[in-house]
Amino acid sequence: MIKAENLTFSYNGSPPFVLNGIDLEIKDGEYVSVVGDNGCGKSTFLKLILKFLKPTHGSIVTGAAKIGYVPQKSDSTGSGFPITVYEMLNSYRKLLKIKDKRVVSESLRQVGLSDFSRSLMGNLSGGQAQKALIARALMGNPDLLILDEPSAGVDIDSQREIYAFLKKLNTEQGITIVSVEHNLAAAISNSTTIYHLHGGQGHFCTPQKYSEENLGEEDHHA
Amino acid sequence: MLSYGFMQNAFFVSLFISVLCPCIGVFLVLRRYSMIGDTLSHASLAGITIGLMYEQNPVLGAFIFTAICGALIEFLRKYFKKYTDLILSIVLALSVGTAITIISSGRLHTSADSFMFGSILTVTKTDMVMVMILSVISVLTLIFLYHQMVYIAYDEEAARVAGVKVGLINYVFFVLVASAISVSIRIVGVLVLSSMIALPVATALQLEKGFMKTLIFSIVFSMIDIMSGLFISYYLNVAPGGFTALVSVFVLVMVMVGKKVYSSAKAVSKA
Repeated sequence: MIKAENLTFSYNGSPPFVLNGIDLEIKDGEYVSVVGDNGCGKSTFLKLILKFLKPTHGSIVTGAAKIGYVPQKSDSTGSGFPITVYEMLNSYRKLLKIKDKRVVSESLRQVGLSDFSRSLMGNLSGGQAQKALIARALMGNPDLLILDEPSAGVDIDSQREIYAFLKKLNTEQGITIVSVEHNLAAAISNSTTIYHLHGGQGHFCTPQKYSEENLGEEDHHA
Repeated sequence: MLSYGFMQNAFFVSLFISVLCPCIGVFLVLRRYSMIGDTLSHASLAGITIGLMYEQNPVLGAFIFTAICGALIEFLRKYFKKYTDLILSIVLALSVGTAITIISSGRLHTSADSFMFGSILTVTKTDMVMVMILSVISVLTLIFLYHQMVYIAYDEEAARVAGVKVGLINYVFFVLVASAISVSIRIVGVLVLSSMIALPVATALQLEKGFMKTLIFSIVFSMIDIMSGLFISYYLNVAPGGFTALVSVFVLVMVMVGKKVYSSAKAVSKA
């Protein structure tokens, strides 16, 4: 689904590199949580997958026919932008050139927001706004779903619902998921693989192994 | 009053302005670009002086020069990513420099004053035709690109993922801004043009509605502002631009007060 070879990137094109010679392969149907300290290049990595940025050296190729993207919630909903949930989804349907209007109500139903279509995005709770953004990402029937910190600013109950929903999408519909996570507990209990970025390099490990190596330390910090 | 030919011209031009300005304004305001309107209105003054110097239609001169400056702003954004306000200073310097140099050279065969403050008397039939053409093309372009423009303003990254050609549409958008400004400059004048782009939108935003309703209310407020500005300035014998700006501030304040009163009354009735 995603293959990177010698993926190297820095914002000014010269060392020090944020990502330095990364080789990786993410297979179809995986649920990968990308973890690491602040500033380790997690969001940069997502932007390279989405082609918002070009690698300084090396390459990253995505085999997905359709990509769904869920940005960090605060980026798009915290601004008081005057847009209703319906408008947000319906305009996106138009961008994706989907003719059937029912796709909007169906995607709202999927995330349990059918009663909120007339609400302003800015008036939704953190959890509801995140669900609305997930509904948007699912409208084009993506085979790859990319999320940037899906639990940021979301209450605990909604977090639980969102992760259960993501896991269901992955296991039942086979959607490949790549999610940047600062929520380590969620990463460990939901994803099939963890990709740990550190010092411009990354390595895969199983959630169990990552939990044994890191969670005790994180708990200690918390 | 409308029996006068010049007043009929002014009325029709005002009607087009009151639709076009908020249509463009809503995207400028929501993209935090309100000050671009100010910079480009100065660019339009330079365009007008160039048009007048070569004895061409000044509205056309304003449109071409403003569109070039709009494209320049978009182009320079790549080079001044962290200092976008600096771009406006650069384009402002280019525009005001051009305008002042031409005006002070004594090569203009007519006065550019009416474009600074706005004037009802100077709207010619040719201006009116130019304004109609630019307005109709702009509104049709906006309808065609509506969903793309909404998304570029709301969530540019999501728009890119959906395949929207953000760079290209940004250039088209600046041509539309140039069009709105050059259409409006005759009546409202350079100095208050940016307020006509931003204030009706600011007023509509107070109502806290969805995008389409905000746009419709922006047009309604814009019509109230510009039409009452036009008619009252006629009777008071003052420049329409200045008075329209005053009306738009008054309407904004009224809506803000009304909103406050409404929410207090609602709170009392709930208690």
